[in-house]
Amino acid sequence: MSEAAASPNGSPGTTRVSIASGPLVGPVLRRVVGMLAARADLPLDRLDDAVLVADLIASRAPAHVAAAAVDVDLETGDRTLFLRVGPLRPGGGDALIVDAAVPGVGNVIEQLADDLSVQPEGDAEYLHVRLAYPA
Amino acid sequence: MRAHSPSAAAHERWRLVPATPSPVRLSLPARARNIAVVRRALEAIAEELALPRRLVEDMRLAVTEACTNVVRHAYSGTEADDQSALRVELRPQPRGMLVVVEDRGRGLSPSPDGGGPGLGLPLIAALTEDLEISHGPDNRGSRVAMSFAPVIEAA
Repeated sequence: MSEAAASPNGSPGTTRVSIASGPLVGPVLRRVVGMLAARADLPLDRLDDAVLVADLIASRAPAHVAAAAVDVDLETGDRTLFLRVGPLRPGGGDALIVDAAVPGVGNVIEQLADDLSVQPEGDAEYLHVRLAYPA
Repeated sequence: MRAHSPSAAAHERWRLVPATPSPVRLSLPARARNIAVVRRALEAIAEELALPRRLVEDMRLAVTEACTNVVRHAYSGTEADDQSALRVELRPQPRGMLVVVEDRGRGLSPSPDGGGPGLGLPLIAALTEDLEISHGPDNRGSRVAMSFAPVIEAA
């Protein structure tokens, strides 16, 4: 876990997507993440990685969110995409990461993210993910 | 506003969704590049609900116009970079979609460059089944609520 994954945090330029838990979480999140990964100028393989991470978050996060919606803040940097998922219920961040393990493959988010951290904020916690492509 | 006359046969033209999904909300800086993000989200929902292509095209055009109004007219300077400068709610309905576009800026007043609202609102009105324009949250800015439903053509 790294401090480098701390952004975004409601800073200017951040896009927030809030999707009520249900059938729209996956389709909406993967499209938005794919679009922003392209804007961040991530190459195709890292763009695919970002969409895969989005799919995993979409499928696992509803079980761990603090409310009835999956909230994701997204921010683009130079060949970098930041995601901040939450608020999650206490313990939800680590549980989400564990849930993202795929039999025979391992933990996909851990393998694909350049930085991954769970940070408490108030009564909740947030999962921070950074996907990048080295210059 | 678009004329609408439902008929039994017409119900076969779109898929009835058993339970209408809950809404999707987006908060973004009011910058032109983010209009594409809204369109992507809209397309994802439309695809998931198997909405008719013509309806999706109308929604895409009207929502683009509404967001463009916010980008062009609502803010000056760096106010537009606030995370909640442009708020969009996409709320699936049993027969279509309700889309609400809000800002907290100057609303629909003419822009400082002299290019006031032109064809945008009439175009939105023509493409929607119902259109409501009011002040935004806390009586600031604007709120454009657009209802979309499939056009039923006479047999």
